[in-house]
Amino acid sequence: MTALHTNAATDTTWTTKRGALAQSASMAARSLASIRHQPAQLIDFFMIPLMILLSITFFMGGQMMGSWQDFLQYAGPTIIAMGLFFAIVATGLGLYGDIKEGVFDRLTAMPVSRFALLAGRIGADMAKHAWALLVVGGVAFAIGYRAEGGVLGTAAAAGVLLLFLFSASWTMALAGLTAKSEEQIQTWMISLLMPLAYTSTIFVEIETLPGAVQWLAEINPLSALADSMRVFLDGGTPGGEVLALFGWCAAIVAVFVPLSLRAYRRRLGD
Amino acid sequence: MRYAIEVRGLKKSFGEVQALRCVDLAAAPGTVLGVLGPNGAGKTTAVRVMSTLTRPDAGTAHVLGLDVTTRAAQVRERIGLTGQYAGLDPNLSGEQNLVLIARLLGASRRQARTRAHELLERFDLAHAATRAAGKYSGGMRRRLDLAASIVRRPEVLFLDEPTTGLDPKSRGGLWEVVRELVAAGTTVLLTTQYLEEADQLADSIAVIDAGRVIASGTPSQLKQAVGGQVLRLSPARPEAAERLVQLAEWAIDVKARNEDGTVVVPVANAGEAQAVMARVGQAGIDLAGFGLDEPTLDEVFLTLTGHRAEARDDERTKEPAA
Ligand SMILES: Nc1ncnc2c1ncn2[C@@H]1O[C@H](COP(=O)(O)OP(=O)(O)OP(=O)(O)O)[C@@H](O)[C@H]1O
Ligand SMILES: [Mg+2]
Repeated sequence: MTALHTNAATDTTWTTKRGALAQSASMAARSLASIRHQPAQLIDFFMIPLMILLSITFFMGGQMMGSWQDFLQYAGPTIIAMGLFFAIVATGLGLYGDIKEGVFDRLTAMPVSRFALLAGRIGADMAKHAWALLVVGGVAFAIGYRAEGGVLGTAAAAGVLLLFLFSASWTMALAGLTAKSEEQIQTWMISLLMPLAYTSTIFVEIETLPGAVQWLAEINPLSALADSMRVFLDGGTPGGEVLALFGWCAAIVAVFVPLSLRAYRRRLGD
Repeated sequence: MRYAIEVRGLKKSFGEVQALRCVDLAAAPGTVLGVLGPNGAGKTTAVRVMSTLTRPDAGTAHVLGLDVTTRAAQVRERIGLTGQYAGLDPNLSGEQNLVLIARLLGASRRQARTRAHELLERFDLAHAATRAAGKYSGGMRRRLDLAASIVRRPEVLFLDEPTTGLDPKSRGGLWEVVRELVAAGTTVLLTTQYLEEADQLADSIAVIDAGRVIASGTPSQLKQAVGGQVLRLSPARPEAAERLVQLAEWAIDVKARNEDGTVVVPVANAGEAQAVMARVGQAGIDLAGFGLDEPTLDEVFLTLTGHRAEARDDERTKEPAA
């Protein structure tokens, strides 16, 4: 270390203050920066939803609906949604890793909004989900899926899906901040997210479900998501299902954002 | 505001472990407070409390007159922290790490980049600016870490063992930066396990052990308290070591120790060293080697915590046999 500029250690001039959203953007960029060093990650982001789509469509679709083409047409988009829904676990694992790292100690001791520290991670994961949606959606189109709702309907369906993923990610933020180990987060995923997916209208119409499950499917937020996506993709008139979905998203955010922030502050106690 | 850092009666437990039993610290503005202590003494816990990362169970900590528990947000605006473990993102390059911090602190893109380059240059890291911080050597990481904590000049800077693992050159360079910052008005609290480092940098020193402050004062006060230097005596015949310990304790009022055949005697001044050597000479014990050294932190601790005034009085009543 040579004394090149004697004032370099002490000289700072800016005094501006950026808001929580600008800070979130900086944090999101930080989470995405590793892609530049390891571009192969771009493949990892879509592999799981892609494999879920292809394997279910080709191996189970025929049995469930006569032909895999019919199944793809009915359930393809919602199965993509399910694959992406499982991918929100990455948010929990990512935050769990973040707060164990020294850099989060430094950031926590800085005048940075606590919301930004969490939202940065979620924002970055949303970019990954959007990328995966683009790729897997493209594959669905390539193997024959067509949306009657056209470009607009497809865009609307993608929009509600991303909105739902954003809200649901906050449940994973809470998981990442409160879990004692990474295995615990995985266990929560298997025991909560999977049953939720299988008791919804993602695969089948509600009438084909057994009685008790019908009731579950009725109130399941993933049913609201699946039904809303179908309305837009099929070019129908959006109604109650979309309202229900918005209600779910608002409720999840209203509950889990404060809980996550509180969990983050709690961790400072120990 | 008399003190930039003022800590009173701090207590913190982790389950069964009492990390801080009772810690009082104070640093006047623009000074360096050295916190000296062995592993597990509670240094990191104390720093984490003062830098708003950990809530204390009892006691108060004020930084720049602000209570760190109730006014944490204002405290964070004005402090810098270099933790014991690298506070860097290993996936980001050195430059990206600094830019991120500058951006979060409100710099524009251009300002952030300018500041990052300035600091990389200053800390001899310009050649590694685009390399991932995770691939830096230990010393480079430590330097980047310090750079990161002064992206915006803090009014109070906490450095938790900033030079552990650094080579002498890097250590000297870091000392220089600390001095520059202090000259510009920053108050620095630094923890260390090296007496020399505290001696070089600190205006005052607090020694903590097992969660308590066991001694505090200026470096010279502390050195007086622990006997300034240590006299090391290696007898030609190892069996003679115990005898040397006795002789030294009779010669001057201290507790000497036998460390694997080398006898360590804390001495306050040259006169005391002479008295010990004279007594050894009288007894006719051959020495293979001897020397005066700065006491190591271990020795400071043994002296500070191992003083048993009663025991020494007992020993003094016994008259030397020779
Ligand atoms: N998060 C924690 N959970 C449980 N115990 C802890 C935690 N942090 C610290 N401790 C315990 O508190 C005591 C003091 O630890 P601390 O890290 O403050 O010591 P230190 O002086 O910084 O030591 P070192 O020189 O090794 O860094 C130790 O016994 C340590 O095991
Ligand atoms: Mg420590």
